Amino acid sequence: MIEAKGIIKRFGNIQALDTVNVTIKKGGITLVLGPSGSGKTTLVKSLSLLDCPDSGSINIDDLIFTFPTNKKNWDFKSIWPKLTVVFQQHFLWPHLTLKENLLLPLQKKKFQDNNKHFNRIIESFNMTGFIDRYPNQVSLGQRQRAALARAVLLNPEYLFLDEITSALDVEQTSILIDLLFELRTSNIGILIVTHLIHFAQVILEKNENNSFIFLDEGKVVESGKIVEFKNPHSVRLNKYLSVL
Amino acid sequence: MSVFNIIYQYKEAFLGGLLVTLKLVGIVWILGLSFGILIGVLASKFSKTLGIIFLSISFLITSIPVLVFLFWVHYPLQVLLKVSIDPFYSAIVVLSLVNIFSVSQIVKTAIFDFPKQYIFAAKVCGLSKSKTFFSIQFPLITRQIIPSLLPLQIIMLHSTLFASLISVEEIFRVVQRINSVIYKPIELYTALAVFFLIISLPVNLLAYWLKLKYTRDISEN
Ligand SMILES: Nc1ncnc2c1ncn2[C@@H]1O[C@H](COP(=O)(O)OP(=O)(O)OP(=O)(O)O)[C@@H](O)[C@H]1O
Ligand SMILES: [Mg+2]
Repeated sequence: MIEAKGIIKRFGNIQALDTVNVTIKKGGITLVLGPSGSGKTTLVKSLSLLDCPDSGSINIDDLIFTFPTNKKNWDFKSIWPKLTVVFQQHFLWPHLTLKENLLLPLQKKKFQDNNKHFNRIIESFNMTGFIDRYPNQVSLGQRQRAALARAVLLNPEYLFLDEITSALDVEQTSILIDLLFELRTSNIGILIVTHLIHFAQVILEKNENNSFIFLDEGKVVESGKIVEFKNPHSVRLNKYLSVL
Repeated sequence: MSVFNIIYQYKEAFLGGLLVTLKLVGIVWILGLSFGILIGVLASKFSKTLGIIFLSISFLITSIPVLVFLFWVHYPLQVLLKVSIDPFYSAIVVLSLVNIFSVSQIVKTAIFDFPKQYIFAAKVCGLSKSKTFFSIQFPLITRQIIPSLLPLQIIMLHSTLFASLISVEEIFRVVQRINSVIYKPIELYTALAVFFLIISLPVNLLAYWLKLKYTRDISEN
């Protein structure tokens, strides 16, 4: 389980995150919702320890990181790629083909055992047709799938997805949902950042243990499960949902 | 007398001049690239301390015309220091310094501006520091700097001509001297132009091609 408490992050005088609490359980999906600029990506970077918070604590399977810290070279490495992230802008390495992008992080020996796994992922993501191209030679949706495949191949225990549905079509999104639920049953903890309300609703409805937090200006203004999502008490989430 | 006759007749002089030019530029290239890269890496690592010092030096050096710098090092500085150095070495010192600090700025900027997100991606994929460096940073940074480093090295080759003005017996000075004897400026200077063209043009074209090829790679991502 990942349990983050009191996460605060500032950029100059912008309060990007204001005392955020969030939990990610193995075998569960936690959704992070919120308008643009509400701090969703900042939260992902803080929780994955890529850009450490100014204050708060993050407990990853009883490995506890508290901030602020005076430890200069904290051993974060042990948490990656057990915890891995697919970023909003996918961040594929531009000088490598998609296939090389997927293979680079895999240890050679491991890969021998994983060849089947690799081919299965490539097929289930419909990537066979463009796997040998460079990132700048494929569409955004294809890049997002490649980035997701790169992360899934690492067999993570925690998978954070930042807005990866933005360029996927309905079909791809539904394949993604199936895949996520399959991953979930293999006991992965998943955090999904999205602004697609429908997508969020499908995920919350599929399993009543899945939960969400709704961020606004760096604060969690609503959290809960499908019940709270359907009957939000906060004015802000009501307003956000009413636009639909 | 055709060009080939002239070259044949004065082959020793030509070869001597050519050798001096190549020796000069070879040393300037090696020193410039090795120390330039080293200083560039250091400047990007310690950007607040060493970086500022190196940046100031580089601004200073690149703001003074090479010729002025060369004369200053060869005459006033030697008078001040009460030494007398072979002009060949004065030329090496000046041109190498110019090259080192120009190279270091290119390298520093490329390292400094390296997109952080590729490192983020490497981290969360569990890549080790050395694998990140050798498989991601090094190839991407190399692709970015080579198109700027190559033309700079050609400029350095052309700058070796200034050495003739402090009487280094390099190719330009040799050609001038032969010309003063036989007065064949058309043949001689054309031959000289062709010589530089043969070296410079392919390198500049290569740099241009690499730039076209690689800048697309990153920007569209
Ligand atoms: N490196 C940074 N420097 C300064 N301000 C930043 C930085 N990163 C983010 N911010 C600010 O922090 C706030 C939260 O940004 P964040 O990227 O987390 O939003 P987001 O919820 O992911 O938005 P979107 O849905 O558009 O991706 C914004 O006001 C943003 O401008
Ligand atoms: Mg974002």
